[in-house]
Amino acid sequence: MTGPLRFRFLAFVFAAISLACAPPASAETPSPHPNLRIGILAPLSGPFASGGSSFLEAATLAVEQANEGGGILGRRVELVVADSQGRVETAKSEAMRLISREKVFGIVGAYLSEETIGAIEAATAARRILVVPVAATAEITDGVRRDYPRYRYVFRVSYSIPQWAAMMAEFLRQKQARTYAFVGAGIRWNRELAGALKTALSVHKIVPVYEAFYSPRNPAFEPVAVAAAAAAPDFLVLGDPGKNSVVFVKRIREGGSKIPILSVGGSLGDARVAASLPLSGPLYVQAAAWKGTSEAATRYVAAFEKRFGYTPVGYSDTLPHDAMTVLLSAIRAAGRPDTDSVISALEKGAFPGVAGTYRFDASHQAAWGPGSPDLHGTVIQWEKDGARIVFPRR
Amino acid sequence: MNPIAQVLVDGIFTGASYALMAAGLALILGVVKVVNLSHGAFFTLGAYVAYVLESRGVGNPLAAVLMAAVIAFAFGVFLGKSFINPVRSHPFSVAVGSLGFAILFEQAAQMLWGPHTLSIDLGAPIAVVGGVTLRRWGVISFIVSLGLLGGLSLLLSRPWGLPLKLIAEDEEIAGSVGMDVEKIRYLTFGAASSVAAVAGALLAPAATITPTMGRVPLILSLIVVIASGMEKVWNIFFLAVGLGLLSNVSAYLFAPHWSYVLLLAVICLLLVFRPKGLAGAGPVRDY
Amino acid sequence: MKKPRFGKIPGVLVAGAGILLLLPLAGLDVFLLDVLTIGFLTAVYAGSWDIVGGLAGQISLGHALFFGTATYACALLTSLLGWPFPLAAGAALLLSTAAGAAVGALSAPLKGPFVALLTLALGEAAHEFFLGQTFFSPKGAYSWGGEGGIPVQLGIPSVSPWTAYYAALAFLLLCTWIMLRIARSETGLIWTALSGSELSARASGVDIQRHKRLAFVVAAALAGAAGVGYAACVGRATADDFSLELSFQAATFAAVGGRGTIVGPILAALLFHPLLQGTGIPPAGRVLLYALALLITLRFFPAGVAGTLRERARARRMTGRKGNGR
Repeated sequence: MTGPLRFRFLAFVFAAISLACAPPASAETPSPHPNLRIGILAPLSGPFASGGSSFLEAATLAVEQANEGGGILGRRVELVVADSQGRVETAKSEAMRLISREKVFGIVGAYLSEETIGAIEAATAARRILVVPVAATAEITDGVRRDYPRYRYVFRVSYSIPQWAAMMAEFLRQKQARTYAFVGAGIRWNRELAGALKTALSVHKIVPVYEAFYSPRNPAFEPVAVAAAAAAPDFLVLGDPGKNSVVFVKRIREGGSKIPILSVGGSLGDARVAASLPLSGPLYVQAAAWKGTSEAATRYVAAFEKRFGYTPVGYSDTLPHDAMTVLLSAIRAAGRPDTDSVISALEKGAFPGVAGTYRFDASHQAAWGPGSPDLHGTVIQWEKDGARIVFPRR
Repeated sequence: MNPIAQVLVDGIFTGASYALMAAGLALILGVVKVVNLSHGAFFTLGAYVAYVLESRGVGNPLAAVLMAAVIAFAFGVFLGKSFINPVRSHPFSVAVGSLGFAILFEQAAQMLWGPHTLSIDLGAPIAVVGGVTLRRWGVISFIVSLGLLGGLSLLLSRPWGLPLKLIAEDEEIAGSVGMDVEKIRYLTFGAASSVAAVAGALLAPAATITPTMGRVPLILSLIVVIASGMEKVWNIFFLAVGLGLLSNVSAYLFAPHWSYVLLLAVICLLLVFRPKGLAGAGPVRDY
Repeated sequence: MKKPRFGKIPGVLVAGAGILLLLPLAGLDVFLLDVLTIGFLTAVYAGSWDIVGGLAGQISLGHALFFGTATYACALLTSLLGWPFPLAAGAALLLSTAAGAAVGALSAPLKGPFVALLTLALGEAAHEFFLGQTFFSPKGAYSWGGEGGIPVQLGIPSVSPWTAYYAALAFLLLCTWIMLRIARSETGLIWTALSGSELSARASGVDIQRHKRLAFVVAAALAGAAGVGYAACVGRATADDFSLELSFQAATFAAVGGRGTIVGPILAALLFHPLLQGTGIPPAGRVLLYALALLITLRFFPAGVAGTLRERARARRMTGRKGNGR
């Protein structure tokens, strides 16, 4: 044979040989793994790697602590890590990998709203439990309410947006603010938070005098800082947990304004960042828990500092830690790693974590807020030598 | 407190920071005609150098600038020699390869300094004049951007700038006249990288430092350099300041949310009405 | 000697298609099937970039605009207006083609770097716009859009991963065939002449601007089709579908595969996507692998793998064939 015909023949031979060498059919029957495998889905690369890596570190700590205590139901807990890369498609795909290939019992994740929704679709289709540690958007628990049989596997440990607003509103009320300003990033959940805060504060007759959302990718900080300062609110609420809030604090302080600032947490909760900021005006940061809010919190902070060498910020680490702890405790409470029993345990039980004791309502949302018996969150104030807890009042 | 004047001054400083970021890219893209998508990575490198020095107690901005310039120059020359020069027959691949370097650098930065946001102490404002605060780093970036662009303009209009322009026009002629084209290219690349790092070191204290911080400055620099027409260096400064003013004034008067979209829309309009950028008229060359 | 009509490449392609057709029977799990499905769609997306950026030489840095238009249209039309998915898909395809026509019309008078800038600015503007734009959902008490994205209602409870895989594979094979036909058609040849030298193309009496616009329209239609598939597969449209990273990714696959070869970008996407996303490499390793693969491939294959091979084959043909004389 000559030329093209020979080439094509060779190509087909090559194809046939490749197929013959293809890996054998993967065993579909799940063999019981000696370890209890739990998946972690977080952004470990890209612009959100900061939150994702705290998430991973705190979850690792929780697993290590569980194993030190003898494991769960006599089995060692094993963490299986997946990088969601900040994208919905990757989150969904990695959730599938955790479930179908790594055979995890359940997943804790993800971090961003869109990732979490992607993970929810994959997890609920495969009937695995997904515990959401951070994402606040309403869509997450709405599924549980709307279509319980399909979405009953989803539980949210973090505060929802209305709960978040309620906690911040309670702090502002205690501080006797009459007016406030809200500055956030021009993204959906910040707007939702602004709306929820407005509603929560209107009950206490606290009114907004300025509200602005800067561009998420290329923010113009100075005009917003100027306008916010000019409106002279009693308090300035910063809704962006990312690095842009840090820059905003720098700008508004540089401009001479001493308005008290309340941040939702995140980067401004980092001690090393706070140390570089001008403290010409009070800077308050809201968090799930802090060293000193409870014994569990103090122990957690000490363990985290010892293991990872820096102080946790109280949001993207504390909440994933508690999400992992709650899931593991529920498995222990259920008596066996069976999805339905664990769901039942989660729905009925109370699970102590760093931030308090977690109880879930009918939409599988943890009960946070001023009305909750145990989960209140905290607000700290940054001072020259560190943080001081100012809320809840002792 | 004079809000309008403050917004205008801040707008000029923002524009100057765009010009500062763009200066390095102007040298490379505008002169040697190499699209350098690792520009943002060198910007980030400069910022981390400033952070590392500050965390070791060396707070002097001049030290940070010098260190950043030297380190970036070394890396830029290395990148120029190992990649840019060998691949230069395919400009598109040079561009994509430089992007690969940027990705590599982001990951390296995350591994070396962690993914978390870092911050340097800002320092006090330079002065408050008539109710307008003159931000320290705003003033510094304004002065330095003027200096850098002025220097670039001077370089290109004097005899020693001729080699660069000749290489940009026709490498064969440059080579046949006896110029070491390869050497000049990688040295220029190194110089452009160090200018980017200087910008990063100067803009870091007023902002934050993260591994992916260079992405938006890269886009802004590309926008400013290309839209200016790449003919006259001073067009870059004027366009940058114009965009900074536009961004800030629109954020103050209308919705801060859309300041970036507006900036992009203006660039699109600019291109529709002046297809060769701000430079506008000029001999049409198709070859 | 009689030269084969399409050259040597299709032999490899046929073999590759054969492997992909039979691969699921080797026992792939749901995860890998999904990764490969997305990989097929990404390959069509990369190939579509090559139509305008490689063949026609109009380097576009905002290709995600067409992709995102399609995914967002599918999501908005099915979720907010309740349209059945096939209808929404058709509308999405029309919309992205229209976007291509618009971008083409705006880009046609521009040269080189200015086309890149315009497309970059348009893509960025769309990304930023949709990051901030929310749509109130009539069903829930919350809004859709923004960074959280909008769901895509397929209308059927679920699609089997095997169905999705084969549908996407068929789509890839069809689109590859279409793109190769276009590349070898008269229009394709005009585009190649255009990307080489506009001056000589114009000297041959060609309407430059019309062909530039056509390139954008075709590329946008194909990118939109990939977007529709993606929306169906992932079930959600987010502002990231307009992102710069996605736009750069198309250009990157084209560079590595071989700008202007069509098969180069497609194969690059088919190779990279499953390798990076389907093998469970730790994140740091994955990013480093990607960056190094990029740098090393371009260093040694400056015109991309397929491009450099093609250049070398051409050079060999010109300097004489081995063993066949003359």
